[in-house]
Amino acid sequence: MENKLIDHLFRYHSGKMVSILTRIFKLSHLNIIEDAVQDTFIKASISWRNKQPDHPEAWLTQVAKNRVLDIFRKLKTEQKHLPNINQGTDTIAINDLFLDTEIEDAQLRMIFTACHPKLDPRDRISFALKTISGFNIKEIASALLTKEDTIKKRLARTRKSIQKSNLKFQIPQGKSLPQRLESVMEVLYLIFNEGFHSNKQEKLVRKELCGEALRLTQMLLKNKHTRTPAVYALCALMCFHSSRLETKTNAENEILDLKNQDRSQWYFPLIELGNTMMNKAVETKAFSCYHYEAAIAVEHLKAKHFNNTNWDKILHWYQPNLVGTLEPTHLLTMAVVCMQKHDYKMAKSYLDQLNQDNFEQRSYLFYGTKADYYIKTNKPDKAIKYLDLAIDTVTNDSEKTYLQKKKLTV
Amino acid sequence: MKEFMMIFVGADYADLGLSPEELQNRMGKWFAWGDKMEKAGILRGGKALTPQIRRVVGENRTVSDLTSTEVKEIVGGYYLVEAKNFDAVQDIAQDYPDYDLGGTVEIREIMVFNQ
Repeated sequence: MENKLIDHLFRYHSGKMVSILTRIFKLSHLNIIEDAVQDTFIKASISWRNKQPDHPEAWLTQVAKNRVLDIFRKLKTEQKHLPNINQGTDTIAINDLFLDTEIEDAQLRMIFTACHPKLDPRDRISFALKTISGFNIKEIASALLTKEDTIKKRLARTRKSIQKSNLKFQIPQGKSLPQRLESVMEVLYLIFNEGFHSNKQEKLVRKELCGEALRLTQMLLKNKHTRTPAVYALCALMCFHSSRLETKTNAENEILDLKNQDRSQWYFPLIELGNTMMNKAVETKAFSCYHYEAAIAVEHLKAKHFNNTNWDKILHWYQPNLVGTLEPTHLLTMAVVCMQKHDYKMAKSYLDQLNQDNFEQRSYLFYGTKADYYIKTNKPDKAIKYLDLAIDTVTNDSEKTYLQKKKLTV
Repeated sequence: MKEFMMIFVGADYADLGLSPEELQNRMGKWFAWGDKMEKAGILRGGKALTPQIRRVVGENRTVSDLTSTEVKEIVGGYYLVEAKNFDAVQDIAQDYPDYDLGGTVEIREIMVFNQ
């Protein structure tokens, strides 16, 4: 088997194994559990080099069961609290946790744990990528464009909070479920966006991130308590965006904007899946922000050419009574859309409501849009000024190149 | 093919004073046995029971809460297996790991009432 495939399989299984073992040994032993799982994979990758098992997945599950015993021994030597085993028959109950349906349940528990309100929102993504998606620290750092040390600190802080707050490993029920589900969707969408919008990473990493977010969202849809219209809409949104993932960059990993993407290369099966999801999402009238974002994504997909884009309709979806509160990113997009419609007055009115501080490390988006506005309204001096600001603040190399090329055309 | 239940009766591990190493060793054997039946495709289910007992007895419905120390033998759980006859299940039951602790496997056939 190819190394990349092994990596993928391991990553996928590590999330499963950590989740099941956490159900058995509780969150308080997460450290030992993660070490044990990692150790398993190191051993497996060595032994697989010579001979690969016939059923790798079954092999890994078997190994996970053996890990139960290893962790048992380890906890004993460290004199830590052991789960209560009264009779050999208790293993029948443990065995049940390795059934497919129970594995999914365990993974859902882990997702909801990662999004617990007691955890710092900034730490949730790193923790989710580590424990659910099996990314190692280096991979998380490169996925989130952050230093490895920072990720290490975040993970340590999360573990500490879990211990301190004595978090339960469960899916919340009743009134607290909808709120936590919001937070889960937010984290999944953030993971997705890290993959979709950041062009610094290799294509492979980006696909992996988008794929993970989509997989976890689909997992929410399999459970009747977490299968809500908003989750369907989020899933649709991810499908629609993902269908364009391959065309966002060219062979040299340079960014292609919507205008220059090869629309014939958009991946149709994902668009179809997105449509199916969207039909489910609108079965009730309860619309979420994901519904509107998905509706906007569809408008882009519908246009055969960039020039056919129905900007009026897109602008319609952004109306405040639909979206709820308008975020700075919404206003910025609305300004961009108005420029496409040559409505520069309206564009300016949106831009005037914003300043660079609204966008923090993404302030180059604001500067870039301002520059666009001045290019379109024939004020090259000002356009250059804002392009320079954008070039100064952008961190991503390919985006910097894109801006520099643009500056030459002004 | 018929369905049989293997009911496991024995003492509580903790009451027997088993060391964690011994416990771990036995769990390993139980896992292995479960896997063997699963691989053979004969396993139809199974459940484990917690050691807490509440008994309701007799005409007066006398209630007593018991722990495993108070009853020497306790039903720990069961496996459901598919087999041809009692002899076949007896063969399967050879791998039960706790005979040396005085454990018992009771084999019963699941009734199918179709006259």
